[in-house]
Amino acid sequence: MGNRTKTAVVIGAGPAGIEAAIRISQAGFNSIIVEKEPELGGTLKQLCSSFPRWEDPRELLDRKILELQSCPAASIRKNTVVAEATSNGSGYVVKLSEVRTGKTDEVIADAVVLATGFELMDISIYGEYGYGIYPEVVHALEFEATLKEWKRGKGKPPKGVAIIKCVGSRDRSKGNPYCSKICCMYSAKQAGLVKEFFPDAKVYVFYMDYRAAGRQYEEFVREVIEQRHVRYVRGRPAKVLCEDGRLLVRAEDTLIGLPVEVVVDIVVLAPAVVPRPSTRRLAEMFGASTDEYGFIEPEPFNPVQASARTFFAGGCGFAVETPLALQQGAAAAANVIALFNLE
Amino acid sequence: MPREKQRDLKQDLYSRVDVYKLVPNLETCLQCGKCAGVCPVANLSPSYNPRVVINDILRGREDRWLKSEEIWRCFWCANCYTMCPMDIPYPMLMMQIRYLAIEKGYGLKYFFPFQRFAMRAMDDGLTFAPASPKGREKIGRIREDIGLSPWPEISEKAREEYKALFAMTGAADFLASISEEDEKPVHLMYLEGRITRARGKGN
Amino acid sequence: MQEARVIRPEERIRDIPERVFLFRSCTGSIEYPGTENAVKETLKALGVEAVMDPDQTCCSGYLLTCSAHKPELSLAVTARNLAIVEKKDLDVYTFCNGCFGYISELAHILLHNPAYLDMANGVVGKLGYKFEGKPKVFHVQELWYRMKDTISDKVVRPLAGLRVAAHNGCHYVARQYGILDDGGYPTFHEELFAAMGAEPVFYKERQLCCGYAVGRGFTHKEEMVQPHLYKKLKSAEQAGVELITTVCPGCNVALDREQPNINRRYGEAFKIPVIDLSQLIGLALGMPIRKLGFAANTTPLNGVLEKLGIGKETADG
Repeated sequence: MGNRTKTAVVIGAGPAGIEAAIRISQAGFNSIIVEKEPELGGTLKQLCSSFPRWEDPRELLDRKILELQSCPAASIRKNTVVAEATSNGSGYVVKLSEVRTGKTDEVIADAVVLATGFELMDISIYGEYGYGIYPEVVHALEFEATLKEWKRGKGKPPKGVAIIKCVGSRDRSKGNPYCSKICCMYSAKQAGLVKEFFPDAKVYVFYMDYRAAGRQYEEFVREVIEQRHVRYVRGRPAKVLCEDGRLLVRAEDTLIGLPVEVVVDIVVLAPAVVPRPSTRRLAEMFGASTDEYGFIEPEPFNPVQASARTFFAGGCGFAVETPLALQQGAAAAANVIALFNLE
Repeated sequence: MPREKQRDLKQDLYSRVDVYKLVPNLETCLQCGKCAGVCPVANLSPSYNPRVVINDILRGREDRWLKSEEIWRCFWCANCYTMCPMDIPYPMLMMQIRYLAIEKGYGLKYFFPFQRFAMRAMDDGLTFAPASPKGREKIGRIREDIGLSPWPEISEKAREEYKALFAMTGAADFLASISEEDEKPVHLMYLEGRITRARGKGN
Repeated sequence: MQEARVIRPEERIRDIPERVFLFRSCTGSIEYPGTENAVKETLKALGVEAVMDPDQTCCSGYLLTCSAHKPELSLAVTARNLAIVEKKDLDVYTFCNGCFGYISELAHILLHNPAYLDMANGVVGKLGYKFEGKPKVFHVQELWYRMKDTISDKVVRPLAGLRVAAHNGCHYVARQYGILDDGGYPTFHEELFAAMGAEPVFYKERQLCCGYAVGRGFTHKEEMVQPHLYKKLKSAEQAGVELITTVCPGCNVALDREQPNINRRYGEAFKIPVIDLSQLIGLALGMPIRKLGFAANTTPLNGVLEKLGIGKETADG
């Protein structure tokens, strides 16, 4: 090996990947962060506000990007994907491909950090909720864009919004049996924001449970319910119908045992969090395994290690919120640094 | 209603009701309420609630449902089964709760019309054929008018074998065994009139 | 998420069958014999031979759900009926959602529970039958959808913008796997309407049950079924529906024969005719009107036939 500085290739520039690249570079090693989109930030870019402190994610993202850009040992490759990888005994020869031109080049990766993030399940199979049938039925990320519009003072004020959680999660029939962890919190956030922008709007959140396991999380949800007056109805809705241009949500309020029907303008569905299809392909390339859903399987005693020289962080391992993505990114970086220092 | 003591909660799960083992996954119920949200009966008379029925059965409290009017209202539309995220075949559970109720003598007034139909079906090989000759004549006329045989073609062999199956599976005995003296009264679990949404426009 | 819930028509019915066993429906043959005719004629027009057998009995499902039959009987009856189909080496097609739901569900139980299969075969064995599970169970609506383009090509009476609404009924879309459309929002009937020139109408209570299954139409008519049907018919009327199609004679009885009673009770004037999807297809494919047996319908079809330019004079056959 000689004096060549070790290089880690970080695939995905969401908060997890950016954090990993920053710490690896700050520790004196090279990092190449590969991002398929034209801009860094992953899904975080689309979000309006954050929990539990209502902070602007753009502030966090800008800060992190600045920190990354000020690392001389970090090389940022936007509009780029990993096309191929072959093992060279002490790492990988990775072929990168530019998305727009198709031009390729090769780099040596002495370690890899997978940070490909998550996407939302395709919920058009839930015909009962009308996604893809009624234009006012949207999913959570589409709604973040609407929230950003409202924040800027644009867009049509709603008279009523209903948020339906667990669409595709905790569902052994048409969806995924697992819980997608972050939807309870971001739904509370979205509901709270609608009330902030439009105090007179009727906002409902239909839930089976609300999972607020984190620092200041429970207080956050209670604030949304008690101070911002969002109506939480315990019951998974059965149908979304359309009448006279408005949407009807039919459910049962299980805490009082009566069927209810609410009339709103927008229905927001919180889909299950699923890994991107590229995660499975990349995992295979780098000797890692994925579970039946496509999430990366950790090694037995190291929750951020995927294989001998491959680590992972963020949504590609399971649904995770931003602070935890940063933590996992740092943990993956620590593993890389330890590996490099040992050799 | 007295508070349930710990020792009263039955632990033998729900095999008392699911005698035919058609509902293996009842404990997966999340009590999410999707079934009750879509149930047409629950929407008309909220004292019937499939989600509550499942909960009560799992906790050994199905007695109050056996004695109720409500369980006889289920349409078997199976919308609950369509919507259930755990694929619980609720109509199969409802069928068995009704058998249990009949066994104990409840709700027989909702059973007798079908007892009569079943005994006629046993002879006809068909269900719901009209009993009166005039009724049969009318059907014959309509059928002949459109070029069909006056009565659906069902062979003597079919009718005999159908009847034989009743005898062999104990169905004939079952039908004969239940009479009006066995009937015990059923009552509504709650007062009528708790409908949340008025019929028609408005509200 | 095990087996796929919704599959394409080509996966459900790979090759168009040449011969099928047509399962006689009790309610269909008695209440609406025109449906039976329409199914047979449409099958013939599509080049499929319908085989029936007088040895076939009622599916016994209706009274099973009314708690009058015990499952042992229905399992044995299903085994016997399907053994008859099996001997002919055909698949069975029903034209009643009820028959379809009960037969397929009971067959599924038989084939996944060896104890029940042994019991059923033990009983029907004494009559000389054995059920091995070979015939597949279909409903004709699946074949119509599979052959949608063929039907479209053979239309001789285009349905001239008639506003038709589909009543899918419950027991087909309630299946958990291997069906042609999403139970949450099925649209495959509407596609057939459009293929025949009609205008499909989506009204708010489109997916509501008919309320007649399990005999509630006998025991709870005033209590439950009439208020329930009122909601459905009112919603259809408000959407301007001119015709409702069903795929189950049971649903047909409910929606068709209850209308005058509901009109009397609620002071309404609903007059939306209700016919079977097969009858609509038969109509579009040029079947003689008389053979479609609309005389059996309580709510008259005159308005619809007039709109399509088929007056009483042109009623041939």
